[in-house]
Amino acid sequence: MSDQNTTHFGYKTVNTEEKQGKVAEVFHSVAAKYDIMNDLMSFGVHRLWKRFTMEFTGARRGDHVLDIAGGTGDLTMKFSDLVGPEGKVVLADINDSMLKVGRDRLLDKGYGGNIEYVQANAQYLPFADNSFDIITMAFGLRNVTDKDMALREFNRVLKPGGRLLVLEFSQTKSPLLKKAYDLYSFTALPFMGKLVTNDSESYRYLAESIRMHPDQDTLKGMFENAGFANCEYHNLTGGIVALHRGIKS
Amino acid sequence: MDQTLVQAGLVSAQAMINKALAFDPASQQKISAMAPKVLAIHMSKPSVSIYIVFGQPLSLHSHYEGQPDAELSGDLSAFINLASQQDKHAALMQSDIQIRGSSQLAMSLADVSSQLKIDWEAMIAKLTGPLVAHVVGKNLRALGGWLKNTSDKFKQDSVEFMRDELQISPHRLEGESQFMAIQKLKMDAERLEARIQRFLQTHQKSGQ
Repeated sequence: MSDQNTTHFGYKTVNTEEKQGKVAEVFHSVAAKYDIMNDLMSFGVHRLWKRFTMEFTGARRGDHVLDIAGGTGDLTMKFSDLVGPEGKVVLADINDSMLKVGRDRLLDKGYGGNIEYVQANAQYLPFADNSFDIITMAFGLRNVTDKDMALREFNRVLKPGGRLLVLEFSQTKSPLLKKAYDLYSFTALPFMGKLVTNDSESYRYLAESIRMHPDQDTLKGMFENAGFANCEYHNLTGGIVALHRGIKS
Repeated sequence: MDQTLVQAGLVSAQAMINKALAFDPASQQKISAMAPKVLAIHMSKPSVSIYIVFGQPLSLHSHYEGQPDAELSGDLSAFINLASQQDKHAALMQSDIQIRGSSQLAMSLADVSSQLKIDWEAMIAKLTGPLVAHVVGKNLRALGGWLKNTSDKFKQDSVEFMRDELQISPHRLEGESQFMAIQKLKMDAERLEARIQRFLQTHQKSGQ
């Protein structure tokens, strides 16, 4: 097996074709309890991170938005209100279990008119060039097998001047926070996962995949390589999470 | 400051404001009428920016993509002072806060916040039902009235005690008469100074 054909699945090295299936297994397993676990694991702080992300989208009425790896539709819901009936929001996820949970949740809350649901792989987006004003991806990029390819795809389907926002776990610079965060991630998270979803392995993968994800500056460089301009990032909660933004030139 | 903390503060403040507005329909209507305008508050020392997006509900943000309709800039102390004033419209005009953009929007917000009258009874009724809320409201109003009367009387008595018993402050009329005399003396001195200047100039000219 050459290095070209391998990638990370948490701390394990797996075949590139294998990763997609393994990530799918993780999300099939956690889909039903995804929202509860997010609130539990982050103490509800993920809502504040997403709120901050929304401030940087600059979404206006009539915009076309792609919420890729949108999962249970937290951002889609906010976009749906902002873009109005003349706009469109596509909630896309590679995992049909997550998409189904997201669609049911949004329909139950009375959302529908301007939302479309698409099962899509971020590396091969089924959309025409220059289709969207905004693309967001919250806590999804680290699960993508070929991140550079996904970023190039985002660039392709964005309209010129459109913006990409990626909210993702990142690296904290504070040694003290890092120690506490590591302890929490590798002991408390799998324990909570076992308790709530009866699946500690998926949450061990979550902790490992965060450590293997590129740090703030590396990801910013990947944005630039994919053709984005005015790239910037904002650290949240001491760098545990970072919001990256780039504009298609 | 970490943006997570800023967001937590904004979410709490936003919930509190919207809750208060829900119990003052007149103010809520005025705030809704300002939609979709945006007012930015830029505070220095510490440096914090807050963007108020008008609508129903009103929302608070730490960042806004685009140009706000109005911007208020100043020290945190100036904003705290403004918030403590009863007549915020007049206080805003006299404060060190700089207004850019639509000053009308800033004034409208100042007016609404001055006139905010929360229906506390309705708020309590939501928790306890109307009967208990009415009794609690009636007693609170009576307590409020008693506190106001007591405070006014204490203020009046303190002034009289300092003036008549301790004799450490003059009567208002005495004070005003004294200030007028000082003012007259000041103006006389300025006039005299001007006349001396004129005399010196005339003297220098005649000497040449």
